[in-house]
Amino acid sequence: MSKAKTRNKRSKFAVGDKAKETIENLTEDNPVLLMFKEYTRTLDEKHDRYERIVKLGRDITIESKRIIFLLHSTNADLESKRMQVVEEAEKRLKTVIDTNLKAIAFELKDQDSYQYHKAYTCGLQEFIEASTFCSYVKEEYVKDWNTMNSLLQYKTEEGEEFALVFPQVDYILGLGDFTGELMRRCLNTLGVGNVGECFKLCNFVRHINTGFLGLMAPGYKELSRKAYVLRQSLEKMELVCYNIQIRGSEIPKHMLLSVIESSDLNENDDEGFY
Amino acid sequence: MCTPTRIIADIFTPFQDYVNSEQETREEIRKIMKDIEKPLREIITILQVIHHAKDIEQVHAAILNARKTFEEVRKGYDMLEKTVPPGQYYRYNDHWRFATQRLCSLAALIVFLEKGILISKDTTASILGVDNKSNIHLDLEDFLMGLLNLASELARYAVNSVTLGDYQKPLQISNFVAQLNAGFRLLNLKNDSLRKRFDALKYDVKKIEEVVYDLSIRGFGQNQAPSTSSEVTVAE
Repeated sequence: MSKAKTRNKRSKFAVGDKAKETIENLTEDNPVLLMFKEYTRTLDEKHDRYERIVKLGRDITIESKRIIFLLHSTNADLESKRMQVVEEAEKRLKTVIDTNLKAIAFELKDQDSYQYHKAYTCGLQEFIEASTFCSYVKEEYVKDWNTMNSLLQYKTEEGEEFALVFPQVDYILGLGDFTGELMRRCLNTLGVGNVGECFKLCNFVRHINTGFLGLMAPGYKELSRKAYVLRQSLEKMELVCYNIQIRGSEIPKHMLLSVIESSDLNENDDEGFY
Repeated sequence: MCTPTRIIADIFTPFQDYVNSEQETREEIRKIMKDIEKPLREIITILQVIHHAKDIEQVHAAILNARKTFEEVRKGYDMLEKTVPPGQYYRYNDHWRFATQRLCSLAALIVFLEKGILISKDTTASILGVDNKSNIHLDLEDFLMGLLNLASELARYAVNSVTLGDYQKPLQISNFVAQLNAGFRLLNLKNDSLRKRFDALKYDVKKIEEVVYDLSIRGFGQNQAPSTSSEVTVAE
């Protein structure tokens, strides 16, 4: 400190003097600073909105994962229990649509949604996954994009209409995740000896895989990553079906699972539940 | 409703259509960007004259020329306005973000050379021709990025103006960039590309300060005009 001072005295000048002088002379009404204060406001507003949407999106992810977990509990149970679970899942999905997703749509009402798309795409995909899984468990079909999109139309109290911007690519990515759940379900049903269900699930995933293979979508990296995971899930399921076919008569059905698991497969590296 | 056999027809075919139409839009935008990037390169080339022109008239001519070339840029953005769908600026802005940033710094350089002041965002938007449009606008972060690029160009300009014997210019630049720096310090930047670019501003500041220091210890540029150029004002 003192050394620097003496040197300053001796040479009279130092690097940065000019900048220091300028900054010291800046006043509150300096036009540059006033301009930047304005920019700060705009920038903060954007960042705050982004963070709020990220939070809402995270809540959607968590709730969706819980709903998926709930739906997995249906495989072993009786028909009446299954419907009961599906009903609860549907109710919770509806709540997500009417609260969190609506809140995001409201935040983006007069904005360019694509600017904030990264903030909610994960939540949205997870929601699609849960929602398609729910309709599959219920009736063995999945809703297409149009149907899903129509769920995300809202009205304000004054009757003004607004909607969540829901890019189709999010739907397809969600669908890709959904096949992971079908694989899990396939292994679970095998565990309880429901062999017919395994073939059905495998067939369903096979169709989705065919769809993915037919896509020409350069520029979507996520898509090819999903297609890769999907293929692995499918191969796992096809192996299950193969084993059922070939050893079905040798071993009791409920033991098949352990045979399959030991014969290959480093078990589920899919993301876990909450 | 999608049963297994309907999956392709109901889900993947519409999605492929969606992807195709997006690709078409992108292709069109890419074509327009070529029309914007051409004048952009020209303006960059024209303005390089400041680094070696001894004659002030040459600089004036270059500025006029650059301003004229901006006319082509504005035409390009007019086309873009027609191509970008409403409310989807940020879906496609990867295509023009970089060029826009460069153009911002060029517009800012022109205004600095003309008046020695910091350009405002509105002025920049009107020079680029993206003001008063509904589908495209000037993104604040792109504009700020342009200002940071300007600082690098000015650092070089400071060095070269000394070579050309102009000892006042570095002082003016130093003053200008110091204020710019103070302005940027007011922003709450997230950990994004703008933040990283801002972190590099200090090297430009340092370079300019070293030039000023070299001039000061030798007493160059002290007598001619003692700190009259110290107030930097903003356009409009």
